[in-house]
This record gives sequence, C-alpha cells and structure tokens, in this order.
Amino acid sequence: MSVYRWLDERLDLDRFNKKFMRKAFPVHHSFFLGEIALFSFVILVLTGLFLTFNFEPSTRLVKYQGQELPAAYVSVLYIDSLPFGKVIRSAHHWAAHIMVASVFLHLLRILISGAYKKPREVNWLLGLLLLALTVVVAFIGYSLPFDAFSVTATQIGYGIGKSIPYVGDWIAQVTFGGEYPTVHSIPRLYALHVLWLPLLLMALIGAHMLIMIKQKHTQPRYAEEVAPGKILGVPMMPMQISVMTVLFLLYLGVLFILAGAVIAHPIEVYGPPGTSTPALKPDWYFLWIYGILQMIPSSWQIPLPGGASITSEFIGGVLIPGILGLAALLLPFVDTRKTKQRYVELPTEHPMRTSVTVGLLFFFFVATFAGWKEEFGMTNGQLWAMLIFIPLAAWFTTYVLIRQVWGKRPADE
Amino acid sequence: MYRNDTIGPFFALLFSAALYLATYWDGKHIAALHGGKPPHEALSEGQIGLVAFATLFLIYGLIGYFSVWLEGVELRPGRHVPDPSGLVVALALLLAVAEAALGGFFVRLMIHHLTVEPVSPLAEGVVFGAMMLIGALLVAIYKKYYLGDEVLVEDEHSEVPW
Repeated sequence: MSVYRWLDERLDLDRFNKKFMRKAFPVHHSFFLGEIALFSFVILVLTGLFLTFNFEPSTRLVKYQGQELPAAYVSVLYIDSLPFGKVIRSAHHWAAHIMVASVFLHLLRILISGAYKKPREVNWLLGLLLLALTVVVAFIGYSLPFDAFSVTATQIGYGIGKSIPYVGDWIAQVTFGGEYPTVHSIPRLYALHVLWLPLLLMALIGAHMLIMIKQKHTQPRYAEEVAPGKILGVPMMPMQISVMTVLFLLYLGVLFILAGAVIAHPIEVYGPPGTSTPALKPDWYFLWIYGILQMIPSSWQIPLPGGASITSEFIGGVLIPGILGLAALLLPFVDTRKTKQRYVELPTEHPMRTSVTVGLLFFFFVATFAGWKEEFGMTNGQLWAMLIFIPLAAWFTTYVLIRQVWGKRPADE
Repeated sequence: MYRNDTIGPFFALLFSAALYLATYWDGKHIAALHGGKPPHEALSEGQIGLVAFATLFLIYGLIGYFSVWLEGVELRPGRHVPDPSGLVVALALLLAVAEAALGGFFVRLMIHHLTVEPVSPLAEGVVFGAMMLIGALLVAIYKKYYLGDEVLVEDEHSEVPW
C-alpha cells in the first residue's frame, strides 16, 4: 500500500482510477467476441516472443542429421525439440486461426446488430482494416517455417499479388523480396510478420479501443428500460477486469490443451521444400477465394494497354474480394440513421439486413466448397449455379421466415 | 441480444460440438478416400478451419455461461454484497492446492524433457491448460463470492478518454 501511496503522490493515480477505472462497461456475452480477438493478439505476441528467440529467418542451407536443409526449417525443428516448444508453436498457430475467426464473427455481430451506424462508422472501417490485416499477418506467418507446404501455399498468394495489372509485379517484389522464393523472401516476410504489421495492428487496435471507449458500446436493449439515455454497466476495475481475467485464463486453458492434443502444422510431416509440389490448398480463410479461382477458367484474360492484362487470378483473387470489401466499407454510409445509436438493433427487426447477411454467409460456404472441385468431381457450371442460387435461396428463406415469425416491424417500413 | 441470457452461449456450445464432430467425420472421410489411412498425420486445411471455429464457439459458450453466472441476465444499479459459505472457501482452497500441485508437476515435466527424454506435447499442453482453467475458476469464485457486484449508471457524455 505504501508503494501505491508513493506512486500516487507523484503520478496522481487516484485521479487516474476515478477517471478511467470507473468507466461503466455494459454487459452482454456477444461483446466477448472482440475480447477474444484482442486476447488472441496478446497470446500471439507472447508466444511469438518465444519463437523469435529461436527462429532463424534464413534459407541458407545448414547440415541437419546428414542432410542439407534450409536454416528456417531446421530452426523450427529445433523449437519443436525444446521443452514446451512444440506446444508453444502450436498454440501460436491455433491462436492465429482463432483470431481470424473471432475478428470475422465480431464483425458479423456488429453487422447484424447495426452497430456500424452513427456514430460508429469510423470504428467499423477500422474493424474491416483489422480483419484484412489479421488475415495478411496470418498468411505471412504461414510462409516462415519454409517447409514444402508453406512454400507452395505462399506461392498461391504471390501469384495473386502479382496478377494485379500494372502494379502487381512491384507489390509482389516489395512484399516477397523478389521472385518468390528467393534468399530475400524469408527475411522480408519475417520483418513484416514480427515487426511492421504487428506494430500497425497494435496502433489500429489501440485506436479501435479508444474510439470504443469514447463512443461507448451499443447497449443490450433492456438497458433502455432500466436507465434510458444513460450507460448501464459494471465498473472497469475491479468488476470488468475480473471477468476479462476469467476469459483470458479460460482461453489459455482451452488453447493449450488443443495445442498439445493437435499440433498445428507439423513441419516434419510435410518435409523441406523439394522439387515436387505437394497437393494442397491454401489456409481455410483463403479457401473461398481459392474456390472462386477454381471456378474461373484460366482462359479468361482481358488485355489492357501497355501489355498488362486482367487475368483469372486477378478476377478471383483481387476483384471479387475487392468488390465485397468495398461494399462493406460503404455500408455505414448507405445504411444510415439520423439519431445516435445507443442500443443494439435486434436482427429480427431488420429482416432485409439479416437475410442478406445469411445469404452472404452461404456465398462464402459455397465458394469454400468449390475449393474441393476436383475431389467432388464437379463442373464449373454446377458450381456457378450453386454459388448464385444457394445464397439467393438462403436470403429469400431467411427473409420470409423472419417476416412470418416476427412480423413487420417499424424499422423496415 | 435483448439481455445477457444463455441462448447465445447454449447454441455456441452446440455449434462447437457439431463442428468438432464434423472435423472427426471429415478425417474419417479423408482416410476412406485414401484406402482407410490418411495421407499424412496432419489436419487438412478444412479441418483446421472447423477446429478453429469449434474452439472459438467453445470459448465463447463457456465465457457466456460464466458471464451470466457472474454478472447476471440484467444489470440493476447499486451494490450487491456477496456472502461466501464455508463450502466455497473449502472449494477455493482445494482448487488452490490443485493449482500448486499442477504447477510443480509442470516444472517436473520441463526438467524431465531437458534431462531425460522428450515429454509428449499432449501431457505438456493438458497440464498447462488445466492450470489455466483452474486459475479461471479461482478468479470466477473470487469474483462471485468475495468481490460482489457494483452496477453504475453513467452519463454518456464523459471526459474519458478525451
């Protein structure tokens, strides 16, 4: 206590506590999706620190058990041999997957509850940027072990980046340190993965949270009856912090049990990069893009002036995701409201928005399914028909169901 | 989304179980396609996605139930003083002893890995994970039976953070 008093006399901690630590936090379990994403990032930084001490970002060949192998690959084998090393690497990998999934579901929650509307438009844009950045950092992390799997998977991303007319070559050269894989690729990707992109993520997460604290959460609807026009919540310290600690420990517990039970990306199974290309697909969060690429014939080419061309890779890998991204960016400026949004909008009160979201989810499911085109022996025509009609059917069914069960609400008039 | 009820967490746990089951069936299907034996001992890309969402739903479902237990379905302004029983004290003590024992065992595992032979990642992960889960339970018990509740009503125009 005397240490606290000593610090308080110098730093005015009491004022800090009264101002920041007494902030009221509204309570709803759906708010935990954002916290899970945040804790994923914290765990990724902590486990990543351990990995950086032992990983060698280089493709120079070193002797390992009588073989000449890339140093990056051998250093990952070394990490796996350390006490708890394999589990920490596996936890790092799983936390990355869970972070992508939680950011996606968090955005979905914001979308179906209308929390992107005035005054939270800026935070919606920051959230979209965070999702894109999270996917990019996770993708780059995949390339680092430099095993047969990661080299082939990275080549798919390299191809997509390179396909952008006029600037693609330049973007690919800057990101991958030249024609992938070169000796410069791993050091370049490593610097992006452990330094520049995490710093950018930290800055964006900080801004996202500061804006959230300033604008407050959208509150659960019942709060309107208990304390209309006010913020109803528990104080940050000690109530909210204690529940956040429970979540953090719970997450760590589940994550490490999973990481020990199922080693994500066991590189000794895939082996070092060789002359043959293993049969594989990109990570699950890219499977929908991969699926669309499978459905577009490589003969689709539109020549552009100056020798450039729009290729099938560009259409599937950049153009279609770009259109969806642009629609998401514009959403809060199209679906607007005049008054400040204080309480969550119930999905059943907005059947059009909810059903379009369900349709979009089915679009992602079908596009992902198309990634297994060869395994299921499907034709492009069948897949295109599924990609168009299943999301439409899902949208229509959801819309009719909501209207029938919950009726017409003033919000849709 | 009307109140902090258990509907969301219940379906999250249900989805989680379904997705873990789908991962298992997917593995069986992949093995069947390769004559009863999978091509290698790693999860497929689809299985990794399923497990990622299954784990996320599991964590979300669990913290959702914890939230309802610790914070209630609806907040009401004021202070609520807890009343811990002897049973709660005994349970907390038991968990603290288990935490300390697992901590000691985890250190022994690390030393064994360094000096004798590698320890299975499953043992390392389960022991460390169990320590964290017991820690979560201890903090939850502390919050429920010792910290009490305080619900504030705040003006939406505040000076925080600017």
